[in-house]
Amino acid sequence: MRKRLYAALALLLAFAVAAAACGTGNSAGTNGGQEPARADSQTGGSNAAASEPAAKAEPFTVSLRHIQIGEAQKFRKAILDDVVRKTEEEIPGLTFELDGVEDEVNRFTKLPAEMAAGNPPKIFDLFGGAGDALKYAKAGRLLDVTPIIEELGIKDKFLNLSQFTLDGKVYGLPIGGSTEGFFYNKVLFEQLGIKEPETWEELEQAAETLKQNGITPFAMGSKAAWVPLMMVNTLIGRYAGPEAIDGFSAGTHKWNDPEVVAAFAKYEEWVKKGYFTKGELGLEYAEMLNQFLMGKAGMMFDGSWRSSVFKDPEQAGELTGKVGFFAMPPVPGGKGDQTFVNGNYSNGYGFSADLNERELMADKAFIKNMYNEEMQLRGLLEDGVLPSMKLSDDALAKVEDPLVKKVMQIMSNAGGAFSHFDSTVPSDVYRETEAEIQKLISGMTTPQAMGDALQAVQDAANARE
Amino acid sequence: MRTALTSPVAYALFVLPTILLYGLFFLWPMLSSSFYAFTDWNGLEDYRFVGFDNFLRALRDERFHTAIVNNLAFIGFSVFVQIPLIVLMAMLISSVARLQRFYKTAVFVPSILSTSVIGILWGFLYEPEMGAINRLLGFFGIEPIYWLADPDWALLAVLITNAWQWMGFYIVLILAAILAVPRHLHEAAAIDGAGGLRRALSITLPLIRPVISVVVLLSIAGAMRVVDIVLVMTKGGPVGATEVMASYLVNKALGVDPNYGFGTAISLIIFAFALLLTSLYQLVFGHNRDEGIEYA
Repeated sequence: MRKRLYAALALLLAFAVAAAACGTGNSAGTNGGQEPARADSQTGGSNAAASEPAAKAEPFTVSLRHIQIGEAQKFRKAILDDVVRKTEEEIPGLTFELDGVEDEVNRFTKLPAEMAAGNPPKIFDLFGGAGDALKYAKAGRLLDVTPIIEELGIKDKFLNLSQFTLDGKVYGLPIGGSTEGFFYNKVLFEQLGIKEPETWEELEQAAETLKQNGITPFAMGSKAAWVPLMMVNTLIGRYAGPEAIDGFSAGTHKWNDPEVVAAFAKYEEWVKKGYFTKGELGLEYAEMLNQFLMGKAGMMFDGSWRSSVFKDPEQAGELTGKVGFFAMPPVPGGKGDQTFVNGNYSNGYGFSADLNERELMADKAFIKNMYNEEMQLRGLLEDGVLPSMKLSDDALAKVEDPLVKKVMQIMSNAGGAFSHFDSTVPSDVYRETEAEIQKLISGMTTPQAMGDALQAVQDAANARE
Repeated sequence: MRTALTSPVAYALFVLPTILLYGLFFLWPMLSSSFYAFTDWNGLEDYRFVGFDNFLRALRDERFHTAIVNNLAFIGFSVFVQIPLIVLMAMLISSVARLQRFYKTAVFVPSILSTSVIGILWGFLYEPEMGAINRLLGFFGIEPIYWLADPDWALLAVLITNAWQWMGFYIVLILAAILAVPRHLHEAAAIDGAGGLRRALSITLPLIRPVISVVVLLSIAGAMRVVDIVLVMTKGGPVGATEVMASYLVNKALGVDPNYGFGTAISLIIFAFALLLTSLYQLVFGHNRDEGIEYA
């Protein structure tokens, strides 16, 4: 009797273990959950090829990775939602599977891993340039969208596709344009009798006045190094000239040229004077905005994409409509044309090269619905993001938001635009700039040593090409 | 049945499935991926053989040196700060008459929380301007400390959080050992006139030594592979101040400019370190096993 009981217990235990093993097997498999889905849709695809009408209603999903999460991105998310809805209506059976991932996580962790494994989403948020779109395009992971935009007749509408173009083929489409410059708190400036800086002296004077009054001149959150690098990029554009940004990889400019080192030195000087938020190395990008919104800092160097926050009372509170924007003034003794501004057409959507016919149809409809005058204008009016496509003067005249107007005015008055070096240098060089800027901020390196360290990596990269 | 067990063939038959599975799911993947440590594979493009370059690069990188030192700091902190505290706490709880269960549960709670939750909670506590810790210090007139942003303080902040997370688990382990010490030993000692401290040092401590040695071993192993708390709280920053070997591996293998070849090389180095440390520990303290009561 007892023996039988033991046997029964042992059997039960064995079942339990087996069941548990199955359980973990399943949960471990969620990551690869796209596999069966893809297999399904692939068989769906072959069906569609064989018998068009019958397969049309058959449901299929297309994964779509976006970065429009959080309060500050809500306008952009609304536009995406409308495009998704419209596209789903147009393609029978199509459901988009939206996957919102924070920008930095997507760009630097998730997407690279997926690209390596060969299972990126079908449509995904993508940055242009040497470290992102062009690298993936070279590896054959991205869909060449040239035929699609030619068919839709929008190829010539784009203002700048350079960061997505490899050997004449387009591998991604920028959703908007941006420039990086200073936002400032008009209320604080008025209280302290500071006027919008137009010259370098006025800018530094403004910073000094703010500092004297116990207010941080520049809000900063440099836990993620790309945030301080925005300002560094424009400082390089000013001190070493707009050509320097492209020049590092071309070999015409060096990171340890005296002019580039001067840009680092200016940054270091401001750090030493206490012009940036204290404890910045522990603060995220979002916290930089909070510092600025709470009135703890008078200025903030950020991209023009931030402007929609300042017209939204839910986010900006008392600062709604009381924020100004200006481009970095010319620096004394700076090389090259000092009227250039930073201009990026780098963030947009890319499409997986691994797809079937129906997914291609979905991609096409998505591009048609996302990249048109209506959505571009909505992006400009609702989200304050500069269009990446040419808009008619009538459309542009609809802009009422003073901040966006100012940004557009700065762009049109500029002698030209230089991009961000994150899209022009190879990723190992970019990685080094991230490490070095944080060292500079914490006082562990000097501007000259920083330039030398960066040039060493750049030399190795240039030799490799 | 009996005769079957004496035949080596039968043994082999029984052991073979396990060895096959072990080989298929552990040895083969490990060996086959070790191969990438000698390449510059980035996951996307074709790789080239680079020989021992990856290893040399890692061993020459200052940031990796910091990571090794920080791993040693984790080990040092857990062995020389955490464990004495753990033993002390366990002894205190063991001699409490009322609410012992409550204390046991209370100290154990942190170890059932997820590391991400703990990292974020302590992030609030360490917040420089509004965080509880700085407010408390401010009460005594101490200037705010930028815990997670200051390279001088960040490691300590992470160490404290990590200790808080794991101490409860070990306290419960040691507590069980203390409660298993036969009561009559204490009674006899008390009759001989031994006070509380004397009994703790001469009876409890020697008798729970085997468990302490297990806890030390677990702490060392835990400190060698610590990474989650670092990634959640600081991502290895500021400026590499809290980088440990495993977070260095994550930051280099993934992220901007991923390099799986380099990552594999680092993981082999970590493996070598762990092997070295545990065998060192076995050599020095291994003989403990023969003495005392076997609890683990």
